[in-house]
Parts: sequence; structure tokens; C-alpha cells
Amino acid sequence: MEKEYFHSVILKEDRCIGCTSCLKVCPTEAIRIIDGKARIIDERCIDCGECIRICPNHAKSAVTDNLNVLDKYKYTIAIATMSIYGQFQPNISINQILNSIKAMGFNEVYDTTLGAKIISGLISRYLLLKKKVEGPLINSSCPAILRLIQIRFPDLLPNVVDIETPMEITARIVKIDAAKKTGLDLKEIGVIFFTPCTARATSIKNPLGIKNSYIDAAISIKDIYGEILKNLSVNPSYSVNVETTKETLKWVSAGGQAKSLGMEKYLAVDSIHEVIKVLEDLELGKLEGVDFLELMACRESCIGGPLVIENSFIARAKIGNHAKSLSPLTYTDEEIDQYIKMYEEGFVRLTETIEPRLVMSLDKDISKSIQKMELMREILKNLPGIDCGVCGAPTCRAFAEDIVKGENNHSLCIVKTIESFKNKNLKRKGENKIES
Amino acid sequence: MSAIKYTFQIEKDDFSRAGEASSSIKKILMQVGSEPSLTRRVAIATYEAEMNIVIHSDGGTISVMIDPKCVMVLAKDNGPGIENIELAMKEGYSTATDRIREMGFGAGMGLSNMKKCSDEFSIESKIGEGTTIMMNMCVKEGE
Ligand SMILES: Nc1ncnc2c1ncn2[C@@H]1O[C@H](COP(=O)(O)OP(=O)(O)OP(=O)(O)O)[C@@H](O)[C@H]1O
Ligand code: SF4
Ligand SMILES: [Mg+2]
Repeated sequence: MEKEYFHSVILKEDRCIGCTSCLKVCPTEAIRIIDGKARIIDERCIDCGECIRICPNHAKSAVTDNLNVLDKYKYTIAIATMSIYGQFQPNISINQILNSIKAMGFNEVYDTTLGAKIISGLISRYLLLKKKVEGPLINSSCPAILRLIQIRFPDLLPNVVDIETPMEITARIVKIDAAKKTGLDLKEIGVIFFTPCTARATSIKNPLGIKNSYIDAAISIKDIYGEILKNLSVNPSYSVNVETTKETLKWVSAGGQAKSLGMEKYLAVDSIHEVIKVLEDLELGKLEGVDFLELMACRESCIGGPLVIENSFIARAKIGNHAKSLSPLTYTDEEIDQYIKMYEEGFVRLTETIEPRLVMSLDKDISKSIQKMELMREILKNLPGIDCGVCGAPTCRAFAEDIVKGENNHSLCIVKTIESFKNKNLKRKGENKIES
Repeated sequence: MSAIKYTFQIEKDDFSRAGEASSSIKKILMQVGSEPSLTRRVAIATYEAEMNIVIHSDGGTISVMIDPKCVMVLAKDNGPGIENIELAMKEGYSTATDRIREMGFGAGMGLSNMKKCSDEFSIESKIGEGTTIMMNMCVKEGE
């Protein structure tokens, strides 16, 4: 048996009223309403967080950790997504934010600049030059997009750059450094990521393209926001040694990754549903003259993550402001050589193949699938095709799919039921007339 | 042996719906659980066939026959037919108007792409009657 698929989006049952809002926004049709409550089909969930964003009752949530995890380690390191800099008043400096995080009891604190710098250098000075695949390279930095490609566009997997995410690369480097510095075992050092999204939280427990993550826990920005605010006034005694640059900071807003590569033939797309349209075009060979595709699941990229507080447009302006005072991204030749070595040795490379996941199919056995398709077509003839969602499936087609797969046996099509009820009544009236 | 057939009507000049048939075909193949690169080849070939029917013909149909190993595609239209098939098959040959080119079509690559995607490809055309394209695509060994 396949082992259970882990994802981070969860449902708070008591809050869910079965309103169907989340059904339609799910890009992989992973949600059904069963017995009045939303259910997530685990293996289809790509953790994009669309449902978390849309739920009017705040019933969709995320499995993340809290500060108690600090007790498990002798030495602790916080790594924050750079989207955190877009969450506070403009007069709050990067240094203040990081100091506030450190004051929670961490030994060290970083953002993901280091990882972003390495990836940007590797793609622009190495991978793009030795590119062999047809079509553009696709960024690997958004795990929700990677999982989308696995499920819906598996044939495009070879186009995904085989480099780890900024958070993972940063974690590897600082954790190993800390082990050297302190003489502690890696297991005694806890790296905690402050995450803007469920997708990154999932990547820690259920990583893609690597065997194990060097990150030990994820805390959601939403959950920790108040705590950071409280600590903002602490004396910024700790001089934070992050070297955030103009370009790496903009990695968290749409187009920032592509722009940091200093190339022209790129296309940057944000929002999962827009990304799907572009991937469909790419699959048909309609995207010519593009060498790099930046695809991010969230609107405006990570600053619009499902677990952040600030509106993504405002966050973008704030990030832009912070960037003004930062120095530009530069590389020495030695640095590039060092990155290439890290890549070739597998330190920052995705060493495991990312396999397609055919979770949309009706049956593992193709012949049986085809028979089920036939059955589905018959069922569809009898459904109204208005995709109302009352049966608990996002579309009539998905409902038919559930029936042939033997799932969701309790639901029924309300439109069909009313119709047959009306017909019965009409018939009865007709009969009455004949009688009278 | 299990096989399933679908037929899609394609309207001439209907650009708002153009691409719907090939995208439905792709969805069907994913539900069937067909091998990803086969799915992609069928998606590309049916898309090109669909666009040709929309752009160059008076309307027609695309049918797909799906069995566990192969997909057979039949694209059939009601005219006007292709005068010189050999020429039409040439990469870069196109009779598309400027308006069509502005929409991003007319590179003259469609027919050769279809051929590239298929394991078997045949095209027949009669002026005044129409064009029929038959393509067969199978799972490649080792996939
Ligand atoms: N179904 C058809 N009916 C009539 N003529 C056709 C048909 N399909 C193709 N042709 C002719 O063959 C030519 C070449 O077709 P092909 O699909 O290779 O290129 P295109 O459609 O012109 O451009 P592209 O497919 O690259 O957008 C067309 O310009 C058209 O003159
Ligand atoms: S765009 Fe960023 S925040 Fe959103 S899912 Fe992807 S990685 Fe997470
Ligand atoms: Mg064409």
C-alpha cells in the first residue's frame, strides 16, 4: 500500500458549514462536501492554500508548529521568509524584525537571502547556459507549483530546475555552520522556518526532490505575528548578519526571481489559476522565445501567501521600500565556482527525481479506467451539467467521477431530484385531468 | 478489449471555443491514467488539428479512440480541402491571413507537428469535399 500522503491544509470541522465556497477554487478538485462538511482528498492536495484564503468561516487552517518546539533543541536557529518584511509598518526596519524574532529565544536568526542568492547565481551563470531540455526552465522555489506540475503537467517535470528552495539551502548552510561552531550534533540543533504558506510547511515533513529537510519545524507568520509585534521594541543589540540585497529581497514578490537573473527572455506568472493557463499553453508548445518561467502559486508571489497577514499589494509596496536602502546583488567568480561545486556535489541540487503523480486517474489499471470512463459518460448524460456543487462535488463531471470510483455514495443530485419530482407531479396532474 | 470513443464538433472561425476539444481530450486521458508523454503528444496533435479546422476549414469533427496502449485520432472536416498536400505539410508553409497571424497562428508548423507527434500519420484531402487526418499514437517502450 502507498503510504499516506501528508499535506498541511486541514479543516476545522466545527467551523465548516458546508457552504461550497472552497469547492470551486481548488485547482486539483481535491475537495468534496460530505455530510455537510468539507473533506480534502489527501493525495490530491497541493497545499496551495486557495481554500484557506477563500473560506468565509475560517474553517480551513494549516498544520504548523509553535514556539514550544524550541525546548526540543540545545541550539536553535530561526529562518524567516523575506515576505515577513512586508508585514509591518514601513518605519520598522529589517534589523528590528529579525531582532524581535531572536528575542523569542533563538540563538541565531536569518532570512532566506543566502539561498536566493545561490539559486539566482546558479540559474543565471550555470544552468541556463547548459540547458538541454526543450522550452523554458521553470523555477523550483514554489512547492505548490511543483506539486501541481506533478499532478497536472507531469510531462513538464524535466523543465523544473533541479535546485532546492531558498529556505532549504539557507537551512543546510547555517545548520552545518552551527554544528561546527558549537560542536553539537545536527540533531541537537533545531532550525525553525517562519512560513508564509502551507506548501513550505509541507515541504519540511514531506520534501520534494530531496531525502530529508534540514528544517525541523514551521511556524506560520499569522500565528507568530503578535509575538513579533510585542518584541519589536527590544533593544536591537544583536547585529543581524543577513546580507539581504535589493534583488534577493524582491524574490518574494512577483517577477523578482526572474528579474534577479538579469535576463530578458523570461515570463513571470503569479496566482495558481493563471499559472495553470500558462502551463497549458506551454504544454501545447505555444510559449516560444521564453527561457525562464517564474511560476508562483500565490497572487503577487510569497508576499501573498495564505499564512501572511498583510494584503499582498500593500506588502509589495513595503518590500519595494525596504529594497531601496539595500545594496545590489553581486557575485565574485569564486562565489559562482563555489555554488557550482555545491550543485554538482548534490548539496543544493535536487538529488531525488520528482515523479509524476497520476492521482487524477479513475483506476490504476488503464482498462478498468476506460470502463469507468464509459460508465461516467452514461451518468453524465443524466446530470444537468450546471455544476451547482450541492451534491458536494465541484462539477457534475467530478460527481460522476466520484460515483464510478465508488466514493461519496450518499450524495444525490438535487436538480435531478427536483426534476423527477416535478415530472411525477405533472404526470399525476395529467392523470387527474383524464379522469375528470 | 476495452476502448472508448469520443467525438467533438469543431465550428469554423469559433475562436472563443477553439482549444476546448483538445483540452477535454487531455482531461479524459489524464482520468484514464494514460502515460504522461503520450497524453502530451495527443494534446498537441489534437490542438493543432482543432486549430486547423477552426482556421482553415468549414468546420468538422475530431474523434479519439482510446485503448490502454494507443490513442487513435481522426480529424475530419467538410471542406474546402487542401490543394497541394505535399506543400501544406512543409514546415513554414501557411496560407493564414494577416489577421490570423496576429493571433499567433500561421507559422506553418501545425501539420508537421502533428506528424512528429504521431507514430502513424495519414492525410487525405479532396477539393470541395474536405480533409481527413488519421493519427495513431502509442505508449513508447520503457515509459
Ligand atoms: N483542415 C484544413 N483545411 C484546409 N486547408 C488546411 C487545413 N489544414 C491545413 N490547411 C492548409 O495547410 C497549411 C499548413 O497548415 P499548418 O497547420 O501546417 O500551418 P498553419 O495552420 O498555416 O500554421 P500553424 O499551424 O503553425 O498555426 C495551412 O496554411 C492551410 O493552407
Ligand atoms: S507562492 Fe510562495 S507563499 Fe505561495 S505557495 Fe508558493 S512558496 Fe508558498
Ligand atoms: Mg495549423
